[in-house]
Amino acid sequence: MKCTRCRELAAVALPSHHSAFCPECFLLFCRRMVERAIHDHAMCTPEDRILVALSGGKDSLSLAWLLRELGYQVTGLHIDLGIPGSSAVARRITENFCARHGIALHVLEMEAMGLGMAQVRQRVKRPICSVCGQTKRYFFNRFALENGFSVLATGHNLDDETSRLLANVLRWDADFLADQGPVLSAQEGFVRKIKPLYRLTEFETANLSFLLGIETASAPCPYSAKATFPVYKHLLADLEDRQPGRKLQFYEGFLKHGRKHFASHSTPDLTPCVRCGSPTSTELCGVCRLKAMMTSEADLPEARDNVLDSGQQA
Amino acid sequence: MITVHLEPEGGTLTFPRITTVLQLLHKTGRKPGRAIVIRGTELLTPDRRLAAGDTIILRDVGSRG
Repeated sequence: MKCTRCRELAAVALPSHHSAFCPECFLLFCRRMVERAIHDHAMCTPEDRILVALSGGKDSLSLAWLLRELGYQVTGLHIDLGIPGSSAVARRITENFCARHGIALHVLEMEAMGLGMAQVRQRVKRPICSVCGQTKRYFFNRFALENGFSVLATGHNLDDETSRLLANVLRWDADFLADQGPVLSAQEGFVRKIKPLYRLTEFETANLSFLLGIETASAPCPYSAKATFPVYKHLLADLEDRQPGRKLQFYEGFLKHGRKHFASHSTPDLTPCVRCGSPTSTELCGVCRLKAMMTSEADLPEARDNVLDSGQQA
Repeated sequence: MITVHLEPEGGTLTFPRITTVLQLLHKTGRKPGRAIVIRGTELLTPDRRLAAGDTIILRDVGSRG
């Protein structure tokens, strides 16, 4: 198989783009996909201070590399979740990556805040993936706001976005559909969030990270076995096998034709959390309730049952 | 004989009679686009031929949390 662009030996075949690329041209392809995403959705400018959420996986590390290559001001934030068997590996890989590429990195340790996920998992009744996700979103957003970053970039790829879209469609969750997209605008208490990799698949970011020589965390989270999004990813992957390009069409079609029909669905009225000031639909935000629950002050059944709220953006 | 290391789950398989990457993917229950195929420092497309003595890394791409 020859590279579609230069006719050298191809390294990556992409039926969804009717293309194959050699390593050099594949890097160019990835750059252009990200440039197009940023341009089409006015995600950021070279003047923005961008905080990149770095998990230690292939997507977020590739994103940091790409944004820096494209000339953006990039700083990393890693959240050490305190999960035995995976967090230490993810942190080491992230620290090594940032040191190697000269990217400034901040690390927040959940265990030091009393929110290590191994301990939280023992106390909450809700699925730990939901609590973990909410906690990460809270701290990424809060850190960005408190440290003068204008944009928070995450490594969500096309598979992440289409599986979430499919899940929201199957539930006809109008509120979530109204909110879904590669950019979430800045609002009171929320920094602007962008997903520059939304046009690249997991397969493409895996190839990219290999070609860039990026070591990535291969130890899966031991708590993720019950996560539901892989089910939707597999369904969409089967569809993509039969109809290459369908995932990107599905997502771009939603952005172009579908999302506007859900725009009238307003988010709930948000007020500052009485404890931390973050926007929330209840008196105490979800993370402050979680903190309270992890200490003795609110070890009550109702606190345990209601540790999540919908007041924080996805 | 072709030796295949599976990632991220670990484990090694050997195949005496496989000659292409596509055959390898089928033999291991994978489809193109679900795993990357690595030989040394190069990535292999499904049409590439394999030779006796090759050592391959088969890396699934789906994130697992």
